[in-house]
Formats: sequence, structure tokens, C-alpha cells
Amino acid sequence: MATVTFDGATRYYAGSPVPAVDGLDLAVADGEFLVLVGPSGCGKSTTLRMLAGLEGVDDGAIRIGERDVTDLPPKDRDIAMVFQNYALYPHMTVADNIGFHLKIAKMPKAERAARVREAAALLDLEPYLDRKPAKLSGGQRQRVAMGRAIVRRPQVFCMDEPLSNLDAKLRVQTRAQIASLQRRLGVTTIYVTHDQVEAMTMGDRVAVLKDGVLQQCDTPIGLFGRPANLFVAGFIGSPAMNLIPTRASGESADVGGTPIPLSPAARAALTSENIVVGIRPEGWRTLPAGDGVTATIEAVEELGSDQYLYCSADTPHLTPDGTAPQPIAVRAPGMSPWRRGDKLGLAPQPGAVHLFDAETGARLPD
Amino acid sequence: MSTVDSRVSVAPRKPPRKPKPAPGSRGLSPLRVLGMAFVWLFTAVNLLVLYWLVSAAFKTPIEIFTKPFALPAHWFERGDPFRNFAYAWDNAGFGRAFLVTVVLVAVSSVVIVLVSAPAAYALTRLGARGADGMTNFVAIGMGVPFQTVVIPLFIGMAEVNLTNDLFGMFLVYVALSLPFTVFLLTGFFKSLPDELEEAAALDGASPLRTFRTIMLPLARGGLVTALILNAIGLWNETLLAIVFLNENANFTLARALFAFNSAASYQSEYGGLIAGVAIVVLPMLVLYLLLARRIITGLTLGAGK
Repeated sequence: MATVTFDGATRYYAGSPVPAVDGLDLAVADGEFLVLVGPSGCGKSTTLRMLAGLEGVDDGAIRIGERDVTDLPPKDRDIAMVFQNYALYPHMTVADNIGFHLKIAKMPKAERAARVREAAALLDLEPYLDRKPAKLSGGQRQRVAMGRAIVRRPQVFCMDEPLSNLDAKLRVQTRAQIASLQRRLGVTTIYVTHDQVEAMTMGDRVAVLKDGVLQQCDTPIGLFGRPANLFVAGFIGSPAMNLIPTRASGESADVGGTPIPLSPAARAALTSENIVVGIRPEGWRTLPAGDGVTATIEAVEELGSDQYLYCSADTPHLTPDGTAPQPIAVRAPGMSPWRRGDKLGLAPQPGAVHLFDAETGARLPD
Repeated sequence: MSTVDSRVSVAPRKPPRKPKPAPGSRGLSPLRVLGMAFVWLFTAVNLLVLYWLVSAAFKTPIEIFTKPFALPAHWFERGDPFRNFAYAWDNAGFGRAFLVTVVLVAVSSVVIVLVSAPAAYALTRLGARGADGMTNFVAIGMGVPFQTVVIPLFIGMAEVNLTNDLFGMFLVYVALSLPFTVFLLTGFFKSLPDELEEAAALDGASPLRTFRTIMLPLARGGLVTALILNAIGLWNETLLAIVFLNENANFTLARALFAFNSAASYQSEYGGLIAGVAIVVLPMLVLYLLLARRIITGLTLGAGK
């Protein structure tokens, strides 16, 4: 068990002038489950591979516990990794796959067998110990990959999108299993995913990356409730937060004729009069047409439990720069009688408004 | 109501004998007809040559020249159908040549693969500086016809007293087969996923151990293909054997056949001569038939994806 610290870790790839990971500062607590999330190419996998020792570190340092591992080869870092495509050794049985590290570490055979069986029991793999990976289902292979990691009792688990090859239903199940297993074992875990639902449901904390730069690292609630900038606001949450660019005039910002009040702190922090008002789909109240922002429903998505209405505002000046306005997503209770073409009024719920500086993208203080 | 009444016995559904091909893929376009005709013609000519070879091996010279495509008769009627084979075996010194060839080909092929596999692995997987350039350099070796280097090679080997010497022959065979084999195996190793090596590195395996316990077993298909292709090529190799070997005791099958050719045609022993050809050719043909599938999948592996 150990902490993991990235200290200005930077990684360049040959042929690219921009770093894939740029000055990453991140401290992971002992036993914490930290999720790295971001769009493809944001550097999350590179970060993980730097920690595992599969990539060099061009600048900065990485520490596991008090130990500087920046220049250590992978085998000396006491790290276990679960790969996206599992990377099971196809010519070895499940038991040999799980026990490969212990065999290399020259653990006596009896002890090794016991450890393998213990790990297999934890993952319901006991009936399959003598099979080759090709004879296993996708979910079983995934569990073997997990088994290979946990049998080592390492200081850190690295998981690189371990669920992305599973079908949707199995993914939801396995998600919960991995999270509870990690909590039971208490091993510090860095988990990479592009799926924000995985990030939100599994992580103690979630670090959002974009273009190699850490955007925000916070608990799922913190990330969702107080996104630090426009990117995080748009990335976390599904459907995405409505980000409405508008102008601040005096003590309020105007959204479709409805004034949104600005605090003195927010006004002081603004760098120009351009402001972005962010309201999540569930942050709207629906009113009779005529009250609030009058809008027309363009499309209705019925999910059974919820209903998402995609509306266009009738008042034209929602975008100050003249670009076509994005439809506004609104969450309504499932099975509501809304239909395409209906008119309704929209008003933000109290406390559901996020304000961002349109120039810097940063969140404005409340 | 559309509920199925289970009491009514429904005729079991019969799948079509041959699933229908995709629309448009079946039409007899002129190109297709031409192609088919060419393929069948090619096959027929080859089968005819094979038939002629095998049947002539059982014939008398008169039968060979008067009735080239008839079935052999004379030696069968005399109750000695394998007379030509016995003649060739006894007079061409095939007994010893067979042993020499089997040992030389087996040892050479194994050594070629033993040298090529680590070389190909290092060139593709270890990320060595200039590995791509070196791979290309090795590949250039395939473009040099060995016939063009026979004379310098002979002079060089003569300098170190390795002509007319089976060990020298072995060295020449191994050296000349390396470019193709290394190139074949680089394709093979390239097709193996990176993650396996990374997983092995995290598991604590050294590069040597990763090669031995992870990559080598996975490349087994490629190694076997390389082994078979080299064995077939060396078994049939004649020119180098003629140049380098000039003592009966060192003759390989192909070299012995060459010597036998002059002797047998001088005595008009064409039946025996062709039987000799059959003795040289048939083992490899059988080997190829047995292993064709393996060779073809091995050659194309790593080509796609």
C-alpha cells in the first residue's frame, strides 16, 4: 500500500512538439481509487503508462510512497496492471497466467498454488484454472486479468480501460465488482477510462484531463456540482450541461430575456462582458408557455425513468456572437405528456446555475 | 390466433445444402471464365507432368518413348515393379546420399531458425536503434541471386579449406538462407501484440525470459513454417552442391542425381533415371501435401492486420 505522486510529470512523443502529458501534478492517497478520465488523446493512458514504467518521463518525477520510481524499470516498481485487451498469455492456462509473476519471483510451488487459488476464488475463476484464455468468455478473461493483478498484492493497481471490451450489461456488473474488490483489498488504484459514468461511479476522486493538462481533480460530487471550467462542465454529465454564451450587463446576465443575477465576486472576476451560463438538464423548471424563457420542443427522448426535451428558445439573442444556438436539453419526469412542437417556459432552479468566463473558460466565484 | 399448436408436427426446417452467396458475386463474367480456364489448365499440366514422372519411373525406356502416357506394363508383368527404383538406389549411391541429405537439411534448417528467430525478435521488438534500417539491409540479401555469388563464395571457402566438406556446405546453406528466414520471422513477430511484452515486463520477466517463455511459443507457427520452407528449399538445392561437393561420400541427393544423370543416360537407363528423380522429389512432395495448410497460413500471417 502506498501513495502515488506525480510531480510535474511530462511526456513528449517523438515527432510531436506538444507534450502528451504536460506538467502533471497529482497526489493519490494510500488506498484511494483515482480515475483518470478525458477524451481520447488527452494523455490519460500515457499518464498510467508512465506510472507503470512503460513510458519514459521526460520531465518531473513520479513517486510511489517515498520512493522515486521515475527511472526504475517496470519490474522494480511493485505495480500490477490490467490492460484494455487483457494481454493474457494465450499459450498458458488460467492458473499459469495468474501465477506467472510469482513464478518469476521464484515463489515455492505450493505457496504459489495457494495464492493462485485464493485469487481465483475471489473472482469465481476456480472452475477455469486449467483452461486456456481462448476457451473463456470476455468477462472471464477480464477476471483473469484482474486475478493476475491481485495475486501479486502490489502497492498499486494500474487499470487501462479494463471494461471497454465487455458488453454494456456485463460492464455495469463488473464495474461494481471491481470497485468493491478494490475497497476490500485497499490497494491504491489508478483507473483510466473515457467513460464518464465509470469515472463517476467508481472513483473516490476523478481527475479530468484534456490535451495532456489536468483540468480538475475532485470527488465525483465536487466535479459534478462545481466544475472548475467549461471543459469539465461540458464533459461530466449526460446529457451534457447546457452552456449558454451570453452577455453580462450590470448585475445580471441575460438568458433569453430572463436575467440571471451575478454576485459582486463573479462580476469582479469577469475579464470581459462575455459570460457563459451553464445549467444542467435537471437544473431547469418547466413552466407554462409565457413564463421564463419561452421555448419550443424540437425532440423528445423518452427513457422511461426520465424524459429529455431538446428545445429551442424563441427569443433570438441567446448567442451574442451570432452562431446558431445549441438546443437546450431539459429533463422532465419519465412518461410526461410532452410532444414535439409543444411550447413551454423554462426557468433555472435556484442554485443550479454555473457561471463561466467566456474568455478564460474558468468558473466564476459564486 | 397465431399460437403454435405443439401437437401438429411441423416438418423440420431444412437448411440449404449450400448457403446462398452474396448477390453479384456469382455471375460468370468473361474475366472469371478466363481465369478459371487458366487455373484448371495450369493444374492439369502440372498433374500430367507428375503423372508422367511417376508412371515413367515404373517403365522400360522403350515404353517411355513409345507410349509416354500409357500405364507401365513390362516390369509389372515380370513381377518386379520396383526394378527401376532398386537400380537407381544401387547405382546412384542414393543410400548414403539420402542419409547425408537428411542430416544436412535437418541440421541446417534447425540452425537457420535458431539463428533467425532471435535476430528477427531483436529487430522487431527490442526497439534497437536503426532496427528498421538493419531489417531492410537483411531484406536486400533476398534480392541478391545466390548464383551471382557462387564463384567468390567458392574461392573464399577454398581459402579456408571448406570446399568439398559437409560442414562447409552447412555454413553456406545457413548463411544464404538467413535473409529470407529473418525477413519471414520479422513479419511474424511484428504481428504479436505489444501488450504481451509489457505485461511480461510488469510481471518481472527479463527480455530473454520474455522471448523464451512468451514470444517464442506464440511464434511457433512462424518457426515451423520457416523450418519447413527451408527444409524443402535445401532438399532440392542442386547448384551449390554441384559446385562445392565433388566426392561421392559427400554427395547430397540432388548432387548424386546429377552424377547419376550422366551415367544412366549413357547407358540409356531412362527408367532408372526417372525413378531416381522420383526418389528425390517425392519425399518433399509428400511433406508439402501434409503441411501445405500450415505453410500457407504461416506465409500470410502478419500480412493482414
